[in-house]
Amino acid sequence: MSEPLDPATPPDETLDWDEDQLPVEAVRSLFVTLGKAFRAFQLYDENNPVRQRFVETLKNEFVALWQDMDKLVVSMDEDHIYLGGAEVYRSESRNDSLAFLFFKDGVREVTFLPGLEENELDQFLGVLQKARKLVPEGDDLLTVLWEEELVHFQYQYVDLLAEGVALPEAGGGNSGEELQAALKAEDEEIAAAEEQGAAGAAADTPQTVKQDDFNPTLYVLDPRDMETLRAELHKEMKRDIRTDVLKALFDRLEEPTDRERQSEVLGILDTLLPNFLSRGGLIAATNVLRELRRLEQIQGMFDEEGLAKSRDILEAISAPEAIEELIRALYDGTIKVSSAQLGGFLQFLLGGALAPLLRESETVEHRELQGVLRKAVQGIADRNREALVRLLGEDDPLLASAAARLAGEMQITQAAPALAKLLVHADPRVRLAAIDAAIALKASTVAGALEKTLEDTEREVRIAAARALGELRYLPAARTLSGIIRGKRIRTADVTEKLAVFEAYGQTAQGDGVGLLDQLLNKKGLLGNKESSEIRAAAALGLGRIAGPEARASLERATQDEDPVVRSNVNRALRQED
Amino acid sequence: MSDGALNYQDLGRKLLTGFYGTLNALKLYPVENETVQQALTDLHNLVERIVKVDGSAEIRVVGDFFFLNETRLRLDVTNFATFGSFASALTAHGIGGVEVVNGVQRAEWAPLLAMLLRPPAGEDPFASFMERFAQTPVEHIDLKPATEVEDPKDDEEALTAAKRTYAQSVKVAQEVMGDMRIGRAVNVRKVKRAVQGIVDQVLSNESSMVTMTTLRDFDEYTFTHCVNVSIFSVIIGQRLGLERMQLYELGLGALFHDIGKQRLPAEVINKAGALTDEEWALLKEHPTEGLLLLFQMHGFTDVPYRQMLMAYEHHMKIDLTGYPANTREREPTLFSRIVSVADAFDAGTSVRSYQYEPWPPDAVLQEMRDNPNRGFDKLLVKVLITATGVYPVGTLVILDTHELAIVSHVNPNPDLLHRPKVRVISDPVGLPLPEPKTIDLAASDPSTGAPVHQIIKTTDPQKYGIRVSDYLIA
Repeated sequence: MSEPLDPATPPDETLDWDEDQLPVEAVRSLFVTLGKAFRAFQLYDENNPVRQRFVETLKNEFVALWQDMDKLVVSMDEDHIYLGGAEVYRSESRNDSLAFLFFKDGVREVTFLPGLEENELDQFLGVLQKARKLVPEGDDLLTVLWEEELVHFQYQYVDLLAEGVALPEAGGGNSGEELQAALKAEDEEIAAAEEQGAAGAAADTPQTVKQDDFNPTLYVLDPRDMETLRAELHKEMKRDIRTDVLKALFDRLEEPTDRERQSEVLGILDTLLPNFLSRGGLIAATNVLRELRRLEQIQGMFDEEGLAKSRDILEAISAPEAIEELIRALYDGTIKVSSAQLGGFLQFLLGGALAPLLRESETVEHRELQGVLRKAVQGIADRNREALVRLLGEDDPLLASAAARLAGEMQITQAAPALAKLLVHADPRVRLAAIDAAIALKASTVAGALEKTLEDTEREVRIAAARALGELRYLPAARTLSGIIRGKRIRTADVTEKLAVFEAYGQTAQGDGVGLLDQLLNKKGLLGNKESSEIRAAAALGLGRIAGPEARASLERATQDEDPVVRSNVNRALRQED
Repeated sequence: MSDGALNYQDLGRKLLTGFYGTLNALKLYPVENETVQQALTDLHNLVERIVKVDGSAEIRVVGDFFFLNETRLRLDVTNFATFGSFASALTAHGIGGVEVVNGVQRAEWAPLLAMLLRPPAGEDPFASFMERFAQTPVEHIDLKPATEVEDPKDDEEALTAAKRTYAQSVKVAQEVMGDMRIGRAVNVRKVKRAVQGIVDQVLSNESSMVTMTTLRDFDEYTFTHCVNVSIFSVIIGQRLGLERMQLYELGLGALFHDIGKQRLPAEVINKAGALTDEEWALLKEHPTEGLLLLFQMHGFTDVPYRQMLMAYEHHMKIDLTGYPANTREREPTLFSRIVSVADAFDAGTSVRSYQYEPWPPDAVLQEMRDNPNRGFDKLLVKVLITATGVYPVGTLVILDTHELAIVSHVNPNPDLLHRPKVRVISDPVGLPLPEPKTIDLAASDPSTGAPVHQIIKTTDPQKYGIRVSDYLIA
């Protein structure tokens, strides 16, 4: 039993030892080992061999000690621990001192019992470690020991916090005549009631004992009652009390008559949200966001200040730093929720959340999570189009490219100028994304900028630009494309690039392009040589993109070409025309 | 040393249930009956299991508790009645402990149990029992008188410990309330230590702690009330089988249940007369204020959500009337309902601001139990009654001898909750006794079986100018 000491009894007097019989040296050694194990516990984690070695040694010393003692009782002052009168522990510094650790919180005597080494040693060392780290305004060693409820370690302490508390004292009672008079009066009342009762009157004297009072069914719990209570207790321990607290807060928040209280509740919710999330309470956090959004939409629910506070909460939880924390928590398992629950939370976030979520949706490998994130991102972007457009100016290539694609997918036409700028972004991935977006948007402002990208340093970008221009059928680009086709560089380019450029030329130039392409496909040059197979095949495919009899006639002239590559692509182009 | 492999809580509960069941079987059937024989076999096997490991098995009744060897058995709603009945069967014969040693035979149980079922005999029931017991062939079961197995802490020592815990808790309540009122940080370790102290005291000597709740003018009502509610809540919680840490959570919330009053004007809280409608409306805000105020209390490992709910919901009735009003669906937590019951009991029996005369404790219990408009959880009121008895400690009663007495201890036997121990303070004409004497109203006349003394009326201590605690904490 661990209990406070009677202040009048010094701890030493409670010990009853024959000091000559005490294994002082063994206990001294045990405390040296305990000190080392305590330090090891602070320095190393549980799998560390150094820590394990000290704990094992300590265990062995306890086991050996129980050969000589039934229990080990020691007392302490600030710097020493004593067995009987013999000092068994002394510390030079109070920093790591076991004696001081106990003494400072009032512990004056401790008892180690057999079984500690087997069942509770880690727990005991954990208590010491925890006690060393305690802050003055929180727990102390005694409160921690109480919570741990060690069976094989007992302690006696001086209750330092109880000093100066006056104990209640009994008074002398009432010995006056008042007592007799009152009892006499009451006896008369009882007698009168009895007489009335005997005469058949129904009146009771108040508080007169009746037979009904002893009917056990009124106060004894039957098995069904017990079962009900057991179920209630079970339910109590399982219930989500955070939700209950939240309901209370929202009931009170929904009282526009008390602005001061509303403001206080909003302040509390602001504090609670991160707290919920740090404990994995995403559903509780979702409830907060849902309620706030709902209440914001009720006319007159908040005054200006309240509305601003509510918005601040939503903005704070949508801030990039907060979302990054959320993502970390999802990965490290602090928050464990279903995709639907996560989606439920994300749907309430504001524009600030867009960047981190978008970045994550680009890199996450988990398909389902990616789907949830993308859906959430689309939802947020849809409500915050300007925020998405702002992201196109981000330095982060991953983000800028994801934003560009999203802007395209969502047909956000306001994004076109920013997309045009992205076509000269340093990162080719961004330029490619901007090209994709341009195709999706079908925006002429972007198409103009795309022309320049035909001369991009990166092959993929050039190909994408050509294809985009073709797809957009951006006629002004025909001239640039024609220049490229006539130039030298395209002749050294790979076949994919050649095809992209020639097809784009066909799509943009249409009838005006037949002459050039026919020349490349069917005519010989100045030296009587035809173009290379690849150029001629590409020209055929370019012609295939042009509707009209001239282009078809040009292709038909080449159907019997000797070069099988040319012949095959001519036929392909003719099929396209069909 | 006990083998760690034995689960003493589990074995102990089974053992007591075994004793109880066998006694009941013997009441109904002759010893040869199959049910009795099976019960004896089960009991014997259980005891043998313990004896094999520990060398002996000792069941002791100490105050309100049972111990199996060194382990105190935990009571809960599923077993306290069983425990109480078996305790009564032993203590009626003055038996405080049963020790079984190695070599015990199955055949040794029936004589002991059959003897326990007979009414106690003579002025010294234990001596009389032992005299008859010696004539049986029982060799490996030893019985110890109740006096020898009393709690090492005698009543006086327990009462001193309870006084210390109570006084310290009231001081902490006072400090907390003061700190909260002026917005100063609360010393959490003091609060924790106070509540841990209450839990320890209730677990080790519930009766002494209940006695402390009769101290009506030890300090301002606001502070003593919080501590009393904490004590009664922990008592109810213990009977529901809450773990020690859960009792702490409950006790902590109960201590803070009225903390919201610290945000209300002191002149309303301390108003001597009846409150105006406006003041009532203000007072009804204290649960909400309590909820909000507890958000400002830092230093606990976690946000004290459960305690917030106890503060917020303790005036909600079971049908959700009461206050504050709810817009959203809600079911008050079990802990809140416990606090609600404890709060009402203590408030109803106290002299306090803005309220009428206090009611006698038994009348308060009766009202809580019988008046559905009060809106209490009926089962929890029942649990409270099993703890306080029909006549709670501190109730001033008139006995059939017309002596004046104060209830001092509850009868642990659930069938005898209306027969507590009382301290007789006056003779039949009202002359105070120089030294109050304690009598057990459960005692019956061996010849007739009728109770020796009975309560005929409960009454109001104020009428007699009595402070009941003067007679209980001395």
